[in-house]
Amino acid sequence: MKNQWIEFLYGRVTVKVSGKGIERFLNVLIRNGIHIWNVKRHGTETITFRMRLRDAMNIRHYARKSECSITFLRRSGIPFLAKRLLKNSGFLLGAGVFLFIILFLSNVIWGIEIKGAKPATEYKIRKELDKMGVKIGKVQFFVKNVEGIQRQLTNNIGDLTWVGVELNGTTYHLQVVEKNEPKKPEQLSPQNLVAKKKATIVNMFVETGQPVVERNDHVEKGQILVSGVYGQEGNTELVAATGKVWGETWYKSNVKLPLITNFKVYNGKEKQKQSLLVGSWEIPIWGFGKPEFEKYETEKDVRKIHFLKWDLPISYVHRTMREREEFTREYTNEEAEKEALNMAKKQIKSELDEDAIIKDEKILHKSTKNGKVILDIHFKIIENIAVGQPIFKETPE
Amino acid sequence: MAKKWGQRVRNWMANKMDLPQDVMMDLPRITMIGQIHVYIENHRGLLAFTDKELRLLLKQGQLLIKGSSFVIKTILPEEILLEGKIDQVIYLTDNPGGKK
Repeated sequence: MKNQWIEFLYGRVTVKVSGKGIERFLNVLIRNGIHIWNVKRHGTETITFRMRLRDAMNIRHYARKSECSITFLRRSGIPFLAKRLLKNSGFLLGAGVFLFIILFLSNVIWGIEIKGAKPATEYKIRKELDKMGVKIGKVQFFVKNVEGIQRQLTNNIGDLTWVGVELNGTTYHLQVVEKNEPKKPEQLSPQNLVAKKKATIVNMFVETGQPVVERNDHVEKGQILVSGVYGQEGNTELVAATGKVWGETWYKSNVKLPLITNFKVYNGKEKQKQSLLVGSWEIPIWGFGKPEFEKYETEKDVRKIHFLKWDLPISYVHRTMREREEFTREYTNEEAEKEALNMAKKQIKSELDEDAIIKDEKILHKSTKNGKVILDIHFKIIENIAVGQPIFKETPE
Repeated sequence: MAKKWGQRVRNWMANKMDLPQDVMMDLPRITMIGQIHVYIENHRGLLAFTDKELRLLLKQGQLLIKGSSFVIKTILPEEILLEGKIDQVIYLTDNPGGKK
């Protein structure tokens, strides 16, 4: 007997033959290379057997010559299964579409929850998210990744100190920490204003309190500028001294700047590649071939595809390759000096209060060593030098 | 006469060269597995088939198999596998000489 599965694959039919001279008919079939099996006798003039589907077409030709009549009873095997499947393909299609819809809906944003924000801030965040395209009903792949959302939110909304973005299933959870602008504490406790560093007084605006120093006075660190002890001697009152005392202060700064600097810059040319990662096997979808850049950096963004609450071992990978160019900046000595000075100014500014003014700068020393310009700069700065210092009530003697 | 000669030569060869008789002499080879299977090689066609009887044409004579609930599992030009309950295997030879 031959392998039944092969016959199953090609399809087989059960044939009923009735008439006279059935044996002769069978002999004819066999001699002509038609493979038959499972021959059974039913009554005197009927026989059934099974045969291959591809032989079934030829059998009529032989039957016509004999005195038998043929009927096909059962059909089985892959060709018939396929036919039936095709007929019922609606079900299959439905099942497929159903799975696809669930798969699709599992990757859609279904909720954005914001915690820890005031209504006003929450509104701002929602607006910003809308601008980014993070909306209910959007597909997650086409939205920035979590880190990107986090970065953009903190950058664009001033009221936020920190925002934690977490993608949990189909919902974005945003944990917000708002900047609590410190309220100016009502200085009710008596205080003096003292100098926070060595300076020469330039200007004074005293709101309350008794000024102790005058313009152009030289003050040391910790020296009282405005006293909170108010009134004449013997009849004093303790108040909280407030006001601003502008003093000229000095800073020294040391800057080094190399004359030749190498930069790596992106020149804007990029190539996008999309692919599907199944397990560890990557199937490219779009963007083939190697980028024609010599030097480039690749940014890889991997998104898991969810199914209901599970992560499938399939991810969507988006690669961006950016061409990188080396760029060399060369300064002449003069340019370097200028640049170094600017740098120093910026550095100083970042250390000072916002209302401080750089009055003057003076280069004390400059040298060029190992391809670097080294500058020692002296800054004259006018800033508020007054800081509060509480007065402790002396017990009356 | 020539046919007879050929037969004799073949018979002699089969004997002397230790070759199987069915190959040399065009005899059927019948393999039985208990009562349930009969496998016949080298038959010359189906003569009659019912569920109690199978009659095969051989080169010389006929083979009659009797039993019950017969099913031909496979049938090829020279081979046949019969399944069922086999009671008898009978050779029908009209003239034992093997006259055509």
